[in-house]
Amino acid sequence: MKPIISFCTDYVLYLFKGGIKYWAWLGFLSIFVVLWAYGNYAQLTQGMIITGLTDQVSWGLYLANFVFLVGVAAGAVTVVFPAYVYKHKALHEVTVLGEMLAIAAVVMCGLFILNHMGRPDRLWHLIPIIGIYNFPSSMLTWDIIVLMGYLLLNVFGGFYYLYKKYTGEPLNNKFYLPIIYVAIVWALSIHTVTAFFMNTMPARPMWHHGMMPIRFISTAFAAGPALIIIVFSIVRNNTKLWIKDEAIDMLSTTVVWCLGIALFLTFSEIVTEFYHPTEHSLGLQYLMFGHNGLNNLVPWFWTSLVGLVATFILLLIPSVRKNRALLPWICAVTFLSVWVEKGMGLMLPGSIPTPIGEFAQYSPTMLEIFNCIGNWAIGFIILTLLTKAGVGVLVGDLRYEGAATTQEAENEEEAGYASA
Amino acid sequence: MTERTIPLTNITDDLPCDSAVEVCTPGEGKPESGITRRKFVKNTSGMSAASLLGTAALMTNSDDAHATSEWAEWFQGNYRLMSDEEKQEAVDRLERRYSAEYGKDVTVDTTPAQEGVLFGYALNIQKCIGCRRCVKACVEENNQSRGEAQETEWIRVLKMEKGEFSEAKMGEGYPDDYGIQVGGNAYTAAGVVIEGEHYYEPEKVPEEDSFYMPIACMQCEKPPCVKVCPVRTTYREPDGIVVIDYNWCIGCRMCIGACPYWARRFNWGEPNLPKDQMNPVTHYLGNRPRMKGVVEKCTFCIQRTRKGRYPACVEVCPVGARKFGNLLDPESEVRRVLASKRVFRMKADMNTYPKFFYYVD
Amino acid sequence: MRVLDTGIRRSTSACLRVIRCGVLVLGLTTAATSVAQDCFESRQNASKVTVKESADGQVNVKCSETTGGVLWWGDPYDATVPMGEMPIEADYDHGEAVVKSRTKQLAMFPVCGTACHNGTFPPPNDDKTPRTLTMHTDVVPDATNLQHGRGAIWCLDCHHSETRNHFTDHSGNLIDMNEPQKLCGKCHGPAYRDWRGGLHGKRIGEWASTGKKRWFVCTECHNPHDVQQGERNSGFAQLESEPAPRLPKGLENADHERHHGGH
Repeated sequence: MKPIISFCTDYVLYLFKGGIKYWAWLGFLSIFVVLWAYGNYAQLTQGMIITGLTDQVSWGLYLANFVFLVGVAAGAVTVVFPAYVYKHKALHEVTVLGEMLAIAAVVMCGLFILNHMGRPDRLWHLIPIIGIYNFPSSMLTWDIIVLMGYLLLNVFGGFYYLYKKYTGEPLNNKFYLPIIYVAIVWALSIHTVTAFFMNTMPARPMWHHGMMPIRFISTAFAAGPALIIIVFSIVRNNTKLWIKDEAIDMLSTTVVWCLGIALFLTFSEIVTEFYHPTEHSLGLQYLMFGHNGLNNLVPWFWTSLVGLVATFILLLIPSVRKNRALLPWICAVTFLSVWVEKGMGLMLPGSIPTPIGEFAQYSPTMLEIFNCIGNWAIGFIILTLLTKAGVGVLVGDLRYEGAATTQEAENEEEAGYASA
Repeated sequence: MTERTIPLTNITDDLPCDSAVEVCTPGEGKPESGITRRKFVKNTSGMSAASLLGTAALMTNSDDAHATSEWAEWFQGNYRLMSDEEKQEAVDRLERRYSAEYGKDVTVDTTPAQEGVLFGYALNIQKCIGCRRCVKACVEENNQSRGEAQETEWIRVLKMEKGEFSEAKMGEGYPDDYGIQVGGNAYTAAGVVIEGEHYYEPEKVPEEDSFYMPIACMQCEKPPCVKVCPVRTTYREPDGIVVIDYNWCIGCRMCIGACPYWARRFNWGEPNLPKDQMNPVTHYLGNRPRMKGVVEKCTFCIQRTRKGRYPACVEVCPVGARKFGNLLDPESEVRRVLASKRVFRMKADMNTYPKFFYYVD
Repeated sequence: MRVLDTGIRRSTSACLRVIRCGVLVLGLTTAATSVAQDCFESRQNASKVTVKESADGQVNVKCSETTGGVLWWGDPYDATVPMGEMPIEADYDHGEAVVKSRTKQLAMFPVCGTACHNGTFPPPNDDKTPRTLTMHTDVVPDATNLQHGRGAIWCLDCHHSETRNHFTDHSGNLIDMNEPQKLCGKCHGPAYRDWRGGLHGKRIGEWASTGKKRWFVCTECHNPHDVQQGERNSGFAQLESEPAPRLPKGLENADHERHHGGH
């Protein structure tokens, strides 16, 4: 028991040790949390009328961010998978950081869902026994299960790993490896199910096709590792943890291939929908070209497409991919482009036109944007704290008093990993 | 409560109302002419969690009737799972709150589905003149929110073009090198539902070049909205009406996404229902006042139809385009439509099997 | 002779009888206009209903502020009489049926069969050749171009030539003016059949096939003297529509739906 208590206290105390950049970053994010608190207060008291949502477009920015962030969460598997299936050594060393990202992303998903709900106070209606859980009928209940499961897997896997590193004890692979392998498959499932909850609605032809899950996963595996590359670059430049080049190279390769697949799928969809456009193509038409002067989304679509194509081409060039100064910026563009493409670009045209053909426009209100940015800020605060402590454990700053040296522990763990 | 003058089957009147320990909220007088019919049978053993909590809140908190009943409502279970006693208690609480809020005797009915009844609806699309009286009648009846901030209408009438085919457009075909493949009149939107106009406002209807298509909840036999609801707050009643327990809805709007007919509306803010316009004859699953953050929709005027009366939109239609009745009764108007007219269901490809039929003479 | 629904605004003085008649008409019209709030059911200017509040605050009807049309029936059987007196010959076992009396809505009805047309004067004239009328031009402005039947019928094909407060069937028998369906059914067989079956026209009250209903009769919706509506060629007159829904947030106007381009 003592090491656990010690781990917890040391962990928390470590979060308070940081340089000026660290505190400045957290302080900066906190500003948005203040706006978030204001926005949420307004929404809780007045209702969702403070958003730009309407009966016509009733799924908007909140759900768009949710869908995107499920992808980011799933994207953590691009670190775990090569590390444990292909025995990628460099990535294996930092797997836990991927898991930390997944935790932060799932928390953000939860925050966005809470914002999306009209009656968050009635969440308890979902709890089996005291409430009604419409499983397996409702796809949303599947999504809750996979997301909660994924959160738990990453919390257990990640913190178990950190704890063992902290105490210097070897990992119990019989316990740890199953979590890892289940988590790998589970990561695919969260995004698949999230795609299913949208594409199982024939009422929304824009989404109602079998390509949705794979599009979701390919974009997720572009945006996810793109964010991880950014985090790794920051960690490399600001901490004692030197994430190896091979790790970043592996991730950038993943980004470029997944981007390629995603673009191919987008291209296939456009050809399918436009060769002989039907009423079912109206959403895509609205997204790409607008409709009789309603064209809120058009610039977003094209900017995002240009971003995706440009970063894809750039990342195909090995010298660019290996340019450590440039890579995070390219990844940032990829990340934002996917955010637009998969968030607003996919969510809104599902509602425009409505199932009975009404065209509407949606623009989020300032309060809605506050809440969204606030959710992101909270997520980034969590990500920062988790990453900081994770790095602290990895480099040995956070260690149990009686622990074996970092090197010894690492050797032991290596042995277990190799034999697995 | 003064009953409506129409001699209709009134099932709730048969409820046992003999003994009664009436919990009355302090500070809130019982409405004069009384909701005595609603006195609920209650013995100590039958006290539900909600009532206990409500009473607890009452004792510890304040004499704010509204807050107290909302607190008790928050704890109340899903309507279908409530015992008769709990239902009565919930209804009683609501009647007290609504009556105080709207300054009139409000009744909240719980009449269940009648056996041997499956409701169906038929609309003569040839007769509809697009006057939107059904839309407004529905609002009069069903206590929707009105006003600038949030206007809720359950029926939407589309104006459809009769279309125009012209010789002038013959030359607009393409490509023309080896013969035109897409005719110049290709984009004439005659009879294209998805290009209907929603906001038409001519001086008089019907317009010469148009016909009209009203759309509301189709009360599908296989409703996609029910399937996606994570908490089963929306469900299909035995008489085929798809209803919502407003007190159980979590506002996730999955059902809005799943409905192919755009029949569901959301209370984005607290609904605005002026006291003088409020219809006091309500049903728990129908037109009782809603709260913010929940979904609502057409219920075939459950508060009327369960008592034998036609829905408000059927009665108001000036051209008699709307027919309603029991699909199990071969003599009903709707069955006679099915027997003798040409009918279609909207978006039959969705496999939702609406019990709302469009027909032509 | 069908007398006006809304009252005559002018009279001609072709003969003494006509003057006497005109004075009567004017008198009755003024008497009938002193009402609180009126709205119309289906046929504008011809299916008037007056809002009445009962003791418990319930109203018989609610009216549209924009169009003056009935929007809601509190009491569907308000001011009705049993249809039993005038059997509807429904093709099925219908329940209790009531109607609103048409003759009560016709201001001149009580006197028309005695004061103006007593059966002997003016002399009954069976000549059905269309000709200009000196009276009733408010109902039929141009009797040589009657907007019903496309020239194939004229006044006395429907109105009984001797008993002017009745209609006539094919054999010259009387039809009560409260039973226009029997008259219209002479020619409009399919519509009559559908009406009897509850498919054509309108009923309010209880939905059950055995329930109590108020039946709307032909002339409560159709204007028999202008059923063609000239160019419109449609049986139901145009009405003002209720206002369009409010535009959703994010839209300033609905111009985008006014022009179509295909896809």
